[in-house]
Amino acid sequence: MVGAIRRLNQLTALVRIRNGPGAAVLPQDVTRLHMEFAHKLNGGHMGPRKFWRDALPRLKYWNPAIPMVVNRSNNQEGPATLTLYFREPGATLGSDIPQPSSSAEGFAKAPAPAEGERALTIDMKNRRSEAILKEFMDKSGAVAVKITAQDEADLREIEEREAMGAIARENTKKMNDAAKREKQMIAQAHSEAAAIKADL
Amino acid sequence: MASHTQCLASLARLSLTAPARPTVARTIPKFLLPAAAAPLVRHAGAGGMRKRPAKKKKVYKSFRCFDLGPMEQFSLCDAMRYLRAFEVGRPPAVVKYEVAVKLRTNKSGPVIRNRIRLPFPVKTDTRIGVICPEDSPLMVEAQQLGAVAVGEESLFESIRQGNIPFNKLICHVDSQDALKKANLGKLLGPKGLMPSQKTKTLTTDLKATVQDLIGADEYRERSGVVRLAVGQLGFTPQMLSDNVKSLMSLLKSDIGNADDNHPKMLDEVVLSSTNGPGFSLNGLFPPADENLKPEQLQSVM
Repeated sequence: MVGAIRRLNQLTALVRIRNGPGAAVLPQDVTRLHMEFAHKLNGGHMGPRKFWRDALPRLKYWNPAIPMVVNRSNNQEGPATLTLYFREPGATLGSDIPQPSSSAEGFAKAPAPAEGERALTIDMKNRRSEAILKEFMDKSGAVAVKITAQDEADLREIEEREAMGAIARENTKKMNDAAKREKQMIAQAHSEAAAIKADL
Repeated sequence: MASHTQCLASLARLSLTAPARPTVARTIPKFLLPAAAAPLVRHAGAGGMRKRPAKKKKVYKSFRCFDLGPMEQFSLCDAMRYLRAFEVGRPPAVVKYEVAVKLRTNKSGPVIRNRIRLPFPVKTDTRIGVICPEDSPLMVEAQQLGAVAVGEESLFESIRQGNIPFNKLICHVDSQDALKKANLGKLLGPKGLMPSQKTKTLTTDLKATVQDLIGADEYRERSGVVRLAVGQLGFTPQMLSDNVKSLMSLLKSDIGNADDNHPKMLDEVVLSSTNGPGFSLNGLFPPADENLKPEQLQSVM
């Protein structure tokens, strides 16, 4: 089993899911989200992918009840869209709205808005994830979560730990490289000596 | 390093006659010919390599257990909230919740090994192969029970050719000797398919065993940890809770049945998912955050 300390460090890193770009509470009238893009980055799909990797987990953490469906396909020429679904003011939605679950094979197309629902589409193609997030925050009316004092302290601690880790990693690499070089030199000397002996 | 006397002899010869080819004594690195390079006399107190006795590594009899005091522990709903955030946008049938149960146990001795039928099965693609005498009523029975491969010598032959359409294999007692003679341990053993009494796949009652295998998951203790997939990402908190509870109650009875010479104890229960980190569970169900309700963790992923 993975050691307790390493697991503990990973759990303190949860502060990054609670805070950062995308940590925002969506307003009550947002009913669901849908993303569609391709698996690979060519064709302008890098930004959407980054948005899914970085911002969407934070949004999901703060809005656990809102379905966030991602449809990835192998069609690199295909669209890259983010669809927001809003409840129309005063409308009540049935509980049995058909909702496909996420797919990695392109089977979960964006559903048409149900009765009493309206959809808003953001084009994500050829855009950076920061730009997508900014437009998303503006159009959805999401409220960014303020970082707590405790989380701020945790974050600082993690950053310090990572900085120290980077230094230690560099030192270890130096030592390993030196050991490797020495080994290589000895091996070379041995092979040269063997060649000389064969000559004699 | 037998060559250095030869080398000196040839050097002596070379000094008398004109060198036919350049001498090499000078080009041999010092460390390869220490006797030729350094005087042969050794002085006391010159240092030299003294062999230190190799440090004996401490051998632990039991698997290492950590102090869980500083470990942050989570209720099931809290852990699910984080894991669902980590797994957002993944196909829910592919991503699994997994439980790792750490035990306080000795490294030697018997291990826990059992089969469990979870209240909500995680995987449903069990394909069963049955070894039983050819052209017997048992063969018909096995086929009716839904086995994908049935037979004795014909089945052995197809296994030898690498054609293994099943992921569970059971053997009727009547075919036990034929199985032993077939020498398939090398092929089936690494895949964990070899029928044996221990895994309860050597049977007299095909029907009971097949029904036991369908929808049942096997678990075993490896390096003091029992790991098992306990749910799909689409499960509700209640479903996952039922599965974890049934696993834990069976494990506790397994631990209770362990013999007195090799006592085992529960140490830690960790819930993780395919792409998520591991959350140490505190055994509670409701979320710590009063704004979060378990119903909110049921939405489509």
